[in-house]
Order: sequence, then structure tokens, then C-alpha cells
Amino acid sequence: MQFNVLVVDDSAVMRQMILRTLRMSGLPLGELHEAANGGQALDVLRTAWVDLMLLDINMPVMNGEEVIDHLRADPETADLKIIVVSTERSDARIERLAAKGVAFVHKPFTPESLRDVIVDITGISHEQPAASEIALLGDGLDF
Amino acid sequence: MNSLQLQRSLYSATASTFEELALLCPSGDMGVEQRQLPLVGAASVTFDGPLRGELVLSVTDQVLAAAASNMLALDETPAAALRRDAVCELANVICGSLLPHVAGRRAMFRLGAPRWRAADGSPAGSMAAFGAPVSEVLMGLEDGRVEVSLFLVNTWTSVEGVLP
Repeated sequence: MQFNVLVVDDSAVMRQMILRTLRMSGLPLGELHEAANGGQALDVLRTAWVDLMLLDINMPVMNGEEVIDHLRADPETADLKIIVVSTERSDARIERLAAKGVAFVHKPFTPESLRDVIVDITGISHEQPAASEIALLGDGLDF
Repeated sequence: MNSLQLQRSLYSATASTFEELALLCPSGDMGVEQRQLPLVGAASVTFDGPLRGELVLSVTDQVLAAAASNMLALDETPAAALRRDAVCELANVICGSLLPHVAGRRAMFRLGAPRWRAADGSPAGSMAAFGAPVSEVLMGLEDGRVEVSLFLVNTWTSVEGVLP
């Protein structure tokens, strides 16, 4: 089974880094979507099926926490798998986000840490990456 | 937290962010030429919570180009908009990493969207009007240099007051 992913971050560079990490991960990916803020993310969700959202918190227009509240209040999207990828370090806010049923990955992140959280939250097992991809993943790089 | 501890925290947050996100490691001693390289622009991030202020990350052209290339794993230099976006994201991560060290791990802050401004001789960041930064770090990275300034609207006394 392939799963569709929506990456939401106001930084175009960070979106590209996350997408590159996903492509290297060996996970069975379907469609990859991008949004630069919460409002755009909701627009994408109205027109495309998304299985997993990778979401920044500090964004203009509609921040990540507002997006989570909006999605959880809508029966159509209440169960959407969400991973917050953020610089957020406050234990109090991370606990508040966890109570809303989201997983959390700190920036900067390693490809392995992001992949492991995706596997954990989706229950999808990852395919064996190609040798060249293993070398990249094992490079100890942080994103 | 005294001013030396604050500067160490700022240095540590800056060094680890550049190393982990942009694969740029702090160089040891900077030569005269490296110290005199012009700063071509700055990314600033405002924050509001137990403390209110702004972090400003100023960069030379060498860092501006290398950071974006490394973050995007590109051999060629990315477009100008992406180069600026990369530095803005670095400023955002430095700020997010620093604040828990200053205000405690349970303190919650609201970070503004990072903003870029080209160097034009005026002080970078809107908070510069409030006076001198409470802490500054100068760091050599590859052949270039960054300067990080932390401005607080609250007084230094209030920084000590919120420490855990």
C-alpha cells in the first residue's frame, strides 16, 4: 500500500529537505503534496486524499496548532495521521500537542528519526532502500 | 543565567544548528580578511512569551550560498529566494533552540515568521531600535562569517527572573 503525504512548512527549503528525506526513506510513497501555510494545507485536503501530514507549527496565515484543531473538529479529517516537525522545544506545548494525538519530530532531524516516527505512527513497514540510499541514510546527516 | 552563560547558549545553538542543518562547521580562529567580509543580509525572528524580543542572524555571501546548497544537497548555487529562505529557516531553528535555555523548558513562546532584509547599513531587525543586543556571537563558518544578535524588550533583570 502506498500512502499520500502532505508537507506543510512556510520554508520552501525545509519542505524540499523533508521531501528528499521521504524519497530516500524506502517508505511506500504515493502522491507528495506541499503547502506553505495552514490555509493552503486545508485547500489541499479539500481536493486530495492524504494519509499523513508533516506539519510545522510556526507559520503565517494559520499556524500548525490551529490546523490540528480544525482537522480534529471535522469528522472527515479527525483521524488524519499528523507528525509535527518543528523547532518547538517547550515541554508544555509538546505535551499539549501529544494530547491532540500527534507525533513530534524536532528540527533539525535525522532522516532515520523522521522515518522511524512515520513507521511508528502509520504502522507501515518500509521497503529496503537501495544501496546508494543506505549510504546516504547512514551518513549521520541531520536535517 | 549571566551574560557569559547566555552567550555560550547562543553560540551553542548557532553552532549546532549550522552543523546539523547546513553541514557547516565553525572554524577556529578567523583571519583578518574573514572578519572584514561584508555582511550581505540578515534574517530576523521575533518571539513573544515570558520574554519578548528578536534574534537576528547576519551572514556573509559565502554562508548565504553554502547554507542553501548544503541544505538542498545541490552542487550549484540555488536561486536567491531559496538562499534567503535557507538563512531564515536557520534563524528560526537557532531561536527555537535557544529560548528553552533562557526561559526554561516549559516556557511557551510564539515565534514570528522569519523575515529577510538585505544589508543596507541600517541595523538589522526591528528590535535594534530598543538598544544594544543583550548578547552577540561572531562565528566563522567555512570561508565566511555569521553574526547573531539577541535583542530583548524586557530588561536583563527579567531574564534572570524567569530562569527555572
